Amino acid sequence: MRPTGPLLLITVLQGVSGGLVLSVAALWWLMPADRWLLPMGLWGAFVIASVGGVASLFHMHKPKAGRFILRRLKTSWLSREALTTGIYVPVLAILVIVPHLLLVAPFWYGIGSVIASGLALIAMYVTAMLYATIPAMRSWHTPLTVVSMMWVGLVAGTALTEARIAIAIGGHPGGPLHLALLGGTVILAGIKWLQYRYFSEARQAIHASTGTGMPAAPYRLIDSGTTKLPYRTQTQVWPSLEPGRRAVLYMVMGLSLILVPFVLEVLPMGPRAIEWASAAGIMVCGAFIERWIFFADVTHSSKIWFGDELQRPSSVSSNRVSPDFARRLKQVGMHRHDGL
Amino acid sequence: MQLTIITDLNKCVGCKSCQVSCKEHNTSGAFGTVPDHDPYTDPDGMWWNRIVGMESGEYPNTNVLYLPKACMHCYDAPCVPVCPTGASYKREDNGVVLVDYDSCIGCQLCMWACPYGVREFDEQQGVVKKCTMCIDRIEDESLPEIERQPACVQSCPTHARTFGDLEDPDSEVAKLVAQRQGFTLLPELGARPAVHYLPRRQVPVILDESEVLRIMEERY
Ligand code: SF4
Ligand code: SF4
Ligand code: SF4
Repeated sequence: MRPTGPLLLITVLQGVSGGLVLSVAALWWLMPADRWLLPMGLWGAFVIASVGGVASLFHMHKPKAGRFILRRLKTSWLSREALTTGIYVPVLAILVIVPHLLLVAPFWYGIGSVIASGLALIAMYVTAMLYATIPAMRSWHTPLTVVSMMWVGLVAGTALTEARIAIAIGGHPGGPLHLALLGGTVILAGIKWLQYRYFSEARQAIHASTGTGMPAAPYRLIDSGTTKLPYRTQTQVWPSLEPGRRAVLYMVMGLSLILVPFVLEVLPMGPRAIEWASAAGIMVCGAFIERWIFFADVTHSSKIWFGDELQRPSSVSSNRVSPDFARRLKQVGMHRHDGL
Repeated sequence: MQLTIITDLNKCVGCKSCQVSCKEHNTSGAFGTVPDHDPYTDPDGMWWNRIVGMESGEYPNTNVLYLPKACMHCYDAPCVPVCPTGASYKREDNGVVLVDYDSCIGCQLCMWACPYGVREFDEQQGVVKKCTMCIDRIEDESLPEIERQPACVQSCPTHARTFGDLEDPDSEVAKLVAQRQGFTLLPELGARPAVHYLPRRQVPVILDESEVLRIMEERY
């Protein structure tokens, strides 16, 4: 399907914001020396999530009807996403704004970090479930989608926290969060590899020749029903990515989301702050590339009726005989004439 | 009651008159419009019913098959529960799946959820549209009885399409499905479509190699 700006922004930024909240909250409870980071981290998470939230409004093509969006909480993950993200962002706002207006008790941030972390996890889970629960989206219909979306957000958010520490102390952040980030990046590589394989399998399973359960397969599409690329009114599909382009995109994603940040974070030399800041920046860019591929490379079940898959030549319409048949013609003494 | 349309794939000749009459009726009907903002230079407008053409089998035993594809008015329509506003709904009295344009926000989640790719997005109005089973015709009591059927069914020159209540065992559609092994598309995705197709009865293959060679010799 067509990756749109609002979808990329809401899904990536909500995840990064959640990762940021969870990592600063973990530091608050595990590393008292790093407690100063929590208010700043919550502010960052609030701004990031707000940008995502505002962007999501542009995904509604008829905002006037937006007032009905909570009507189907019982069945619709999109209704639930509107509710959970709609609670998460205002709670962050309260947590960061109230201390500027009133004197807050010392436990304000401690309790607040736990509440914000819980809400962030719920919002991230609900958003991921929206995609994982659509059986027609063959590449997404797997628990891997939930794991991948949440993990990308957690790792990228943690990278931002680590970069902030590195900038503040002008050196290597170290500590358990650093180890968690490195481990998380390695696990992310594994998750993305599995997801790449799942996407490939889905793509190979859906093509015209698998037909529709009718006899006399295989099929070759000759008319997809008065439609043409890029399927403007049928946004569930999108022109298939060229294999070469797909390979380059996956490579760029692997480099920016995983390899380059990982190398920058383990390099034992240089002024650490700049490396950490670059690692976090590159990783967030990688998260956007990852999400672009997630949308652009998905296979929808209706793809079997769209004609931009790899072309199989038709021996009927081209009026050309197969090499095997030509050989047999020769054997019985017949010759190919012009046009054959 | 579950209204449906049954298409006999032996009779469909791919003339697209159902596709065109659907657009013609619904561009002017109560549930329209089916927009076509630049019909002469951009025929990729909106169609609620598209006729897919396929070549099937392996040479030399091939044939061409046409598959009219519109909303299947599924029993377990996956497009309905995903809709956050309730704009997509299935009518309890006749099983027709409809979209309420006033409460649709244009999120297109229903388009992703529909396994058949029969929902279409109207960029101008910002809403999703699809086949309505010509609800404005079939419930219009001012029309003569014979006219109270979907435009695509009425316009089919070979009478490949039949309209009726699938749950009434005496209806023509129920009998066709029962007697002719009516089948649904992509049953593995669990949407349980109401729209069925009658399978093609393959003409037995009587072509052997000597026959092919004889024809080739005659021709070339
Ligand atoms: S065919 Fe698609 S749009 Fe129609 S009822 Fe089934 S899922 Fe919904
Ligand atoms: S596009 Fe409209 S009908 Fe479809 S899910 Fe969104 S609100 Fe519902
Ligand atoms: S039933 Fe009506 S709206 Fe549906 S495909 Fe036929 S003509 Fe179009």
